[in-house]
Amino acid sequence: MSDSRESELPELTISPDLFLSGALVTDKNRTIIYANSYFEDQLNWPLSDLVGMSSDDLFTRSSKIFNESYLMPILIHEGSCKEIQLAVLDGTGARVPIVVNARVDDSGLVYWSFFNATKRDKLYDELLAAREKLELYSEELKAISSTDELTGLFNRRELNARASQMYLAANRTNSVLSCLLIDVDFFKKVNDVHGHKEGDRVLKELGAVLKKVARQTDLAARFGGEEFVLLLPDTPTPDALILCERLQHEITLILVSDRSITVSIGVSDSKMAKGTDELFVQADKALYEAKNQGRNRTIIYHPALK
Amino acid sequence: MFKNEICTRNNVQVLGSGEQTIMLAHGFGCDQRMWRFLSKNLVNDYKLVLFDYVGSGKSDLSQFDKARYSTLDGYAGDIIEICESLALYEVIFIGHSVSSMIGVLASLEKPKLFKQLIMVCPSPCFLNDPPDYMGGFEPEDLEELIKLMDKNYIGWANYLAPLVMGTQNDANLIDELTESFCTTDPSTAKTFAKATFFSDYRQQLQKVRHPTLILQSAEDSLASVDIGKYMHKSIPSSDLEIFQAKGHCLHMTHPDLITPHILNYVR
Repeated sequence: MSDSRESELPELTISPDLFLSGALVTDKNRTIIYANSYFEDQLNWPLSDLVGMSSDDLFTRSSKIFNESYLMPILIHEGSCKEIQLAVLDGTGARVPIVVNARVDDSGLVYWSFFNATKRDKLYDELLAAREKLELYSEELKAISSTDELTGLFNRRELNARASQMYLAANRTNSVLSCLLIDVDFFKKVNDVHGHKEGDRVLKELGAVLKKVARQTDLAARFGGEEFVLLLPDTPTPDALILCERLQHEITLILVSDRSITVSIGVSDSKMAKGTDELFVQADKALYEAKNQGRNRTIIYHPALK
Repeated sequence: MFKNEICTRNNVQVLGSGEQTIMLAHGFGCDQRMWRFLSKNLVNDYKLVLFDYVGSGKSDLSQFDKARYSTLDGYAGDIIEICESLALYEVIFIGHSVSSMIGVLASLEKPKLFKQLIMVCPSPCFLNDPPDYMGGFEPEDLEELIKLMDKNYIGWANYLAPLVMGTQNDANLIDELTESFCTTDPSTAKTFAKATFFSDYRQQLQKVRHPTLILQSAEDSLASVDIGKYMHKSIPSSDLEIFQAKGHCLHMTHPDLITPHILNYVR
């Protein structure tokens, strides 16, 4: 059956030299024992020079590292490798991007096919540049979308995202996450009497104080309006209160027409709350109590608070 | 971390049951499977410990900490933690390429864990530092290597796999994508590449106190014979064997040629 089929085919003399791709055979010692005329016609390698050379000498230095780290191990382990993009040096020493397929036979001969990849290489360069740009943009956007413009602190959205992680981490390590809800006393008066510009200055300076007082692992955020949050990982209430004292003191240094501003602070801790929502609600109840008791003070949440 | 956590993290495999332990550490690019050609010659007489560095092979990618693995000390930490979690000491350490230097760092940190170091095609520094030292490469070659890694498919970026698979990220399916030899997360691979090829640990060589055997290829485009000689000269109690072979993976291409030299050294 196969015999009769073969006889029907027209007789062709097909030479590897007719193909518009490089064909190369190397022996066990990586010595080139055959190359088709593509190397001479397209890559300026006189075939007489090429045969007998080491295939290593065809590749650029970076491609040599890639060969030894990926191509050769894959070839030895799997018997073939496909679509490896590398760069070779042509006969004049110019760099030419190529795509390589290779397979090894039982006797250790390696059959290589080379395809010019100059255009594909340009495309990849463009893609890489585009990816780099995108990564940069997305970093910038992430920074913008997570930051409160006026104070430079995290905004409420970022606070919510990070607070749940910090809450879970505290539970996992069986440590206390303390939450401070901080509200500027009589802030509406500042705005009404001195104008919004002065109000903004106060908020900005308060943001700076929070940044200064917060330790490296603490998180400072603007909760909204004149309300701020400090989350303190691994900080039991007594330690949180020391930080509150420092905070109250630093804030007295912010002046509005020669008078110090003050803040009220509500403190809650993760051991008492089932989640971050409750943590904030409890801090808010404590804050409300601080306001009720006459402001400029810190109150710790306890279940009797309404 | 507990013993089983380290073993999962580094995909640790223990083969054979000999009294003496030999640890086999893969180099940059692939994973522990590259040792299969050599390990068959050793497994009958020795206990073999194989593993993948975090970020390579079937290690737990979620444990990859970019800061830790940006220098070779992080990889040395993997080795120390594996030895300690398996209660190993006086291990014979065989490292390929960059792992030879990682082994040096681990041996300097915890000398008692090791008995001998065997280095397959090592280099303490891939960069040229003329006139006295020629590592073989210029910084621009290594920059281009990083680009080549970007242009080749060396695996799914971990953060992309779930996207590609759809929102229901079937862990088995993702595993399959990263199954084949040498495939790994490209971002961890690039971190390993930078830690490997931009580093210079020449100053550590003279501090080595363990007997060291250096196995070198006569023609290796990553580590020339001169580099082998440099290492031999710098490491106080070392032996150098140069093999008439080509390439950087003697343990894969010439396992039967190097085995007698290894056995002779460790016995």
